[in-house]
Amino acid sequence: MNLHPATLEVVRNALYAIAEEMSVIVTRSARSPLLKEAGDLSSALTDAEGRLIAQGRDIPIHLGVMGFTVKEFLKRVPRERLREGDVWFLNLPEVGGNHLPDVKAVRPVFVGGRLVAFAINLAHWADIGGAVPGSYVPSATECYQEGLRIAPIPLFAADGPQRDAIDLVLANLRGRDEREGDMFAQFAANDVAARRLQELFAHHGGDTIGACFERLHAESETQMRAAIRALPDGVWEGEDWVDDDGVDDRPIRIHVRVEIAGDQARFDFTGTAPQTRGPVNTTYYIACSAVYYAMKALIAPDVPPNDGCYRPLHVHVPPGTVLSADPDRPVVGGNHETSQRVVDAIIKALAPVLPDRVIAGGPTTSGVLIFGARQPDGRWAILYEVHGGGEGATAAKDGASAVRVHMSNVMNTPIEVIEGEYPIMVEEQALRLGSGGDGAHRGGLGFRRAYRILAPELTLTSMLDRRVVPPYGLAGGRDGAPFRITLNPGPRERVIRGKETVQLAANDLVVIETCGGGGYGPPAERPVDLTARDRAEDYRG
Amino acid sequence: MTTAGVRVGVDVGGTFTDLVAWDGAGQMSTLKVPTTPDNPAGGVLAGLAAVARVAGPCASLAHGTTLVTNAIVERRVGVVGLVTTRGFRDVLEIGRMNRPHLYRLDLPAKPEPLVPRRLRAEVSERIGPDGSVLAALELAELPDIIRHFRSEGVESVAICLLHAYANPAHEQALRLALAPHFPFVSVSSEINAEFREYERTSTTVLNAAVMPLAARYLDDLVARLASGERAVPIHLLHSAGGMMSVEAARARPLTMAMSGPAAGVAAAAHLSRTLGLPRALAFDMGGTTTDVCLVADGVPETARQRKLGDYPVRLPAVAVESIGAGGGSVAWVETTGGLKVGPRSAGAAPGPACYGLGGHEPTVSDADLILGYLNPERIYGGSIRLDRARAEAALDPLRRRFGLSLLDAAHAVVEVANANMQRALRLVSVQRGYDLREFTLIAYGGAGPVHAGALARDAGISRIVVPAHSGAFSALGCLVSPLRYDAVQTSRMQRRPPLRRPELRARDRRGRGEPRRAADGVRAAPSPALRLRDRRERRVHQPPGDRAARPRRRHAAGPRQLESRVARRHAPRLLPRDRRHHDAALRARLAGDRPNDSRTSAGRGRVVDDARPSGPALPRGSARQSVDRGRRVNEVDP
Repeated sequence: MNLHPATLEVVRNALYAIAEEMSVIVTRSARSPLLKEAGDLSSALTDAEGRLIAQGRDIPIHLGVMGFTVKEFLKRVPRERLREGDVWFLNLPEVGGNHLPDVKAVRPVFVGGRLVAFAINLAHWADIGGAVPGSYVPSATECYQEGLRIAPIPLFAADGPQRDAIDLVLANLRGRDEREGDMFAQFAANDVAARRLQELFAHHGGDTIGACFERLHAESETQMRAAIRALPDGVWEGEDWVDDDGVDDRPIRIHVRVEIAGDQARFDFTGTAPQTRGPVNTTYYIACSAVYYAMKALIAPDVPPNDGCYRPLHVHVPPGTVLSADPDRPVVGGNHETSQRVVDAIIKALAPVLPDRVIAGGPTTSGVLIFGARQPDGRWAILYEVHGGGEGATAAKDGASAVRVHMSNVMNTPIEVIEGEYPIMVEEQALRLGSGGDGAHRGGLGFRRAYRILAPELTLTSMLDRRVVPPYGLAGGRDGAPFRITLNPGPRERVIRGKETVQLAANDLVVIETCGGGGYGPPAERPVDLTARDRAEDYRG
Repeated sequence: MTTAGVRVGVDVGGTFTDLVAWDGAGQMSTLKVPTTPDNPAGGVLAGLAAVARVAGPCASLAHGTTLVTNAIVERRVGVVGLVTTRGFRDVLEIGRMNRPHLYRLDLPAKPEPLVPRRLRAEVSERIGPDGSVLAALELAELPDIIRHFRSEGVESVAICLLHAYANPAHEQALRLALAPHFPFVSVSSEINAEFREYERTSTTVLNAAVMPLAARYLDDLVARLASGERAVPIHLLHSAGGMMSVEAARARPLTMAMSGPAAGVAAAAHLSRTLGLPRALAFDMGGTTTDVCLVADGVPETARQRKLGDYPVRLPAVAVESIGAGGGSVAWVETTGGLKVGPRSAGAAPGPACYGLGGHEPTVSDADLILGYLNPERIYGGSIRLDRARAEAALDPLRRRFGLSLLDAAHAVVEVANANMQRALRLVSVQRGYDLREFTLIAYGGAGPVHAGALARDAGISRIVVPAHSGAFSALGCLVSPLRYDAVQTSRMQRRPPLRRPELRARDRRGRGEPRRAADGVRAAPSPALRLRDRRERRVHQPPGDRAARPRRRHAAGPRQLESRVARRHAPRLLPRDRRHHDAALRARLAGDRPNDSRTSAGRGRVVDDARPSGPALPRGSARQSVDRGRRVNEVDP
């Protein structure tokens, strides 16, 4: 079909507007702070085959996975069962998923009785049941211990909310009211998206929109192929390690073999460690999501991400590895720890090919600490806090200090919020001087935060990495300093591990020092003005 | 108020200074003079002289300027020293840790800190979240800090202590101690009395950074105007689309940072009040960008936080959604064959091809000309006659590339540009829960009226207003804006025990006992003229019918009083039954006529002491207070 040049742009804009509007609706109508304040959610549209067409300006780790969710959903739920007005919910890692807290809502969109598209959004539910509040269980050895596993189920239909099914879900979670509000927010976003898509089809006609979908895929595919073709053909290998899995104390290897051939790239993860007992396993979809992120960031940042964009990227993960674990394995940390290590391995593999594009190692972890205290009235106050660190250096610049990198981008919680709402006092927040790896360009600095516990009893859960295996330097740059968590620094101090649950008492002091970034290039080649600046601002301590 | 002369609105833009003069009898004149960046006050004075020749002497001046914005963008700002709570001097450099872009490894993940680490000093002190003093302020540490700052050439000091919004005592003590040593001091609890230490520090520091420049400009302007035959009252436009006194502008110059877009939005708001439009969209399409802002019940929507450069500014500002599509936006073909428009713009120079100023690339304005939307016979911007042949030549490659007729190619360019703008319209309305179809589009700016029809049709909007004087609309905005001050105060409310009257009365007393500071930040000034003006401003804050009943309450509306007033009325409704802690941001907006402006019908002054949770259904009226829910404890059932 011959498309008018303006039509494609008009439709493209409309599709992105719909995806963005979905995220706005969830943020406006959800009830939990994790969605309203931190924005831990994403939205997308797919065609009738479940192929990603448009996405909001959301979180890369989610968006990569959502390209699989509808495709896998359609393998489980025959098309004949889909009805106008349905909204299906699911969180199974093995059905185009990642970990249990990320719940996806899928709405089939019909025009004239014909299935034409899907609206999908993903929201991180602050609790999905399981052994502890917040559903992060470092000692979990089965997925069942991590919370409620939701196989695809229509919680809403044309005749309204399906109360029995909704109640079954809510009965298994903490914070029932908040979760119900979040669930309805997801429904509302999908509902509006469906209406907007139907208007778009009515305005332009199904054939035109169908042709636009194909063109959008084709355009991104063309651009991605061109970007790959600009790389030399060849095979490169890279590897990195996850510190440990929280259950067994040994590093877990992620190995990738990248083969560039013409306008295609193949990523083979043979050699990656077997699945683990603890919760750092993850899914093939997350491995793909990490590959997609890495290639977009390294060679194609401006290509519109959709199914076509990823067609030239082929991912092979042998069965039974930490990147392709059995469905009953625990996965909660793998989502944001192991996934980031996949990005690291790819960057290390391609560093010789793209010396001007790559970035040295950084805080490729969400740096999660969860403080949970039972209040006098029996309710739980739970602070879910993420910690960034020093960004890696590049050939062109020093790394930034205290940031989030790569696939995660959630903000920290202000000190004034923590102290106002939780039984915790923050005694210090300062740059961790000297933590950046030296180099011609220096890694960014991590930071130090000291939490004084005011509650009589408090449970602390850590779920972070880069505490044992430090962020790597590149091209002769030095490694950054790894994470360090200390309980009550001094003669009787104790180190807290990266994936651990600890019981704390009043007046305990928890000091987290986050990792610095890796350096780039030999330290001897550091420009004089940058050295002078380090000295003036005392960045090296 | 029978002073002779005209009231003048002045909008100082990057290239031109627009002036509007109004004689009170229905006569309006507009004027354009070149902006003089090196001598900004001189440009304004030259404009006023020109106005005097055409319309008569200036009786009062209302003024919007991009001075502050440009200073920050171009980093022509003062050397700032920052004083923080011990242990927290790096808050400014640590920030919120998120990065502005997801896939760009080549771009900086965060901006350079506004104050370098060596100029960030710590003092021993600590205040808790409830305002209690946990550690006393050690003033003995100050001499070393003062010496260090002076040796580094610091001329402006920013003070931001933890939880100062809950208890400003330590910040005030520091101000007293530092004021004799530095010409400019900016205190966080006066600039932005809200929790979130990073955003508050950033806002306070930026304010400190522009204080020297703003003071020099304002002093110069006031002095020059005072040297004339008689004093001309001056007011300045702030980012939220209202006017403020010179004193307020001197203390909080950062509030002028968004006054450029605010001026047009203020004019649109005035129009919507005059025409009685409950829902309007201000649509300003210029050469490079298009700004869209929602106006509900005659009041522009304001955002609580914006970015300036890459730095957060937590001050109320018109909630303008800006997109990179304007009349000068360039149409181009993507490698994959798609037609794109913008964000690159031909700007004012060389400008669209049809201007004949050396531009060769096809722009939206060239397409508009070919389609007959622009008049080739008319003179634009004083001297430009549009050249259709040049426009056709510029569009020719596109026409051939797509195998279209010239008209179809031009139409395609306009459609793509409109699609970009459509997205901005939709975002502005849905983010606040409105349906676009209820709106009236108020179109201004060079290209706004040209595109308004097609946009309105696609959005289902059935009414468009194209104002007269749309070229000098921003200057008009200065002229018609009411006085308006915004204050915000974070309050931590507790459900159990509930707020009781004795406690509230205690808070009231505490508020009154503080150094007297009205919600507008206006302090009693030494000069008699300024003091007089202050008094008049306060007077108009009072709701006309209510003056006798509660005379003092109304103009002593400091943040503390507002807090207790709002809490008393609304705490029971605001706090969900199952929550124990609750942060509320108490916001007050006071609006009224400028002292000598009682002749206008615009926004008669009143304070609506009627707060309610913010949401789509806003109370009608020209002023309002609102309480919005802040962050809560994330509680989970046992």
